[in-house]
Amino acid sequence: MSAAIALPKHQLFESPNSRSIEVFDWFITASTNPISNAADCDALQASLGFPLPEMTFGSNVLTLEHRASGWKYTFSTDAALRAVKNGELEEGDGGVKVGYADKWLESRTGPSSTLPMPKTVPTKPYDWTYTSTYPGHENRDVESWSEADPANPSHAIPMAELTRPDPILFYAEIPLFEDELHDNGSSNLLVRIRVMPTCIFILARFTLRVDGVLFRMRDTRLYHSFASQPPLVIRETSGWEAPYDRVKRQLPKRDDLTPLTDPGFIAKALTGLPSEVSQNEGANTRWRGLGSKTEIATLS
Amino acid sequence: MPSDLDRQIEQLTRCEPISEEQVKRLCLKAREILIEEGNVQVVDSPVTICGDIHGQFFDLMELFKVGGFCPETNYLFMGDFVDRGFYSVETFLLLLALKITQVYGFYDECQRKYGSSNVWRWCCEVFDYLALSAIVDGRVFCVHGGLSPNLQSIDEIRAIDRKQEVPHDGPMCDLLWSDPDDIAGWGLSPRGAGFLFGGDITKAFAHHNAIDLIARAHQLAMEGYKLMFDRTIVTVWSAPNYCYRCGNVASILELDEHLSQEYKVFQHAPLDVQSIPAKRPPADYFL
Repeated sequence: MSAAIALPKHQLFESPNSRSIEVFDWFITASTNPISNAADCDALQASLGFPLPEMTFGSNVLTLEHRASGWKYTFSTDAALRAVKNGELEEGDGGVKVGYADKWLESRTGPSSTLPMPKTVPTKPYDWTYTSTYPGHENRDVESWSEADPANPSHAIPMAELTRPDPILFYAEIPLFEDELHDNGSSNLLVRIRVMPTCIFILARFTLRVDGVLFRMRDTRLYHSFASQPPLVIRETSGWEAPYDRVKRQLPKRDDLTPLTDPGFIAKALTGLPSEVSQNEGANTRWRGLGSKTEIATLS
Repeated sequence: MPSDLDRQIEQLTRCEPISEEQVKRLCLKAREILIEEGNVQVVDSPVTICGDIHGQFFDLMELFKVGGFCPETNYLFMGDFVDRGFYSVETFLLLLALKITQVYGFYDECQRKYGSSNVWRWCCEVFDYLALSAIVDGRVFCVHGGLSPNLQSIDEIRAIDRKQEVPHDGPMCDLLWSDPDDIAGWGLSPRGAGFLFGGDITKAFAHHNAIDLIARAHQLAMEGYKLMFDRTIVTVWSAPNYCYRCGNVASILELDEHLSQEYKVFQHAPLDVQSIPAKRPPADYFL
């Protein structure tokens, strides 16, 4: 056992809706606020061009600033929603319909239907599941990211270090949006950060459940070791998907569906499946977000 | 001597669950009452109209503080009593009123508090008997979701056979799940099932049925309520700080004997009440 880890010099700042930490060359701020009010929702909706998630935390944001290099990385609600498909869904978008859509349409239009379908006007097409592969964004026009070298161990997120129970200097959970899909499931994007004595670690997780149809998850992990020289940030993005029943089969108690509302359970179920299932065929939606990728950015 | 029911109400008002046997009797009794009600329950003013509660029991107590307690105030709840909050059983048993279908969370809560699925089953049976809608003094129409293209008149709603589970199609499902939207006419939901309806549809329905206002629930509103289409339709939301993290206010709609509308906005119960989660999540070694 190594001796207790030394805490680096750091300073914490706090206001009612935001908290920050200053550590080494970094200044990190997490702002958490109530959901947006009607005026802010209307403005954001007008600029996005599709209806907002029911719970849109429009003012929530996580910002990391590396003062020595001027590099800034942000997770914001507005940018996450801009990554949601607006318009007709196309190949790769992974569009789905609710589980009973075909039955519903047939009941309205099928030969045995006694319910006349009204004349309908076209409604705005968009991805109503709010699937977003948004990995955060930086303040530079030219992307700093390049592909990680799989042979270089310093290009991988060190799980051993992250599982070590070192003291957490700074912790925040920043919900960006959440929607219950009109009781057809749940879609949510949550960003978490912990600043440790030796590193910064962030997980932005998008979790989707469409009842009777599928589960989908997209993770972005950001890792920076304070010891890296020159300063290096590792970004790992991964997507998984599986048909609803495939995840449901993994319930500890068949009748108790509660775990299906828990992103932790969903994550365990999806990542526990063979990757050719959960990261290749998925739920046969051909969603482009499946698979995994690791990139690095050198800050200078 | 207070009756059994009075004692149960008193106990539930303290957020203490009643026994499994008492739940069973309460649900049977509720069914007897509900089966006599029509699809369009006729209600007299003055009445206070409430939106979704979602098992937020202590916020329901706040609602009663703002709106007055039963039976001094007459309440009409437009559904979604259970799921998501922590006290669905207490909330529902105390209310025994309108309509939900989802089972996430509620089942687990019944299991945890009663150790069997009986309570869940009895409650679900009651849900099937809840009225679809209500009309106040013939002039304010109250429904959980919205309108249906197959139901032009309130009399047509009266004719639906509702004593069945909410089907995923048909006009009954429209009443529960359709939404007003800034379109003209009817639209198909991008989800692939369900309708959106515009201001013209809303106004035509109001005109045709000689009503002043359609009150509905079902959608979260940061300000507690949202009027649309020249005040012909209003969404009322009654779960403050929804899911204990949205920071929204809630409202109830009071209709006096002249049907004039007053929206009473209220905040959530203090967060330190019992075991509601702390404002800030505990630090977690997530990976």
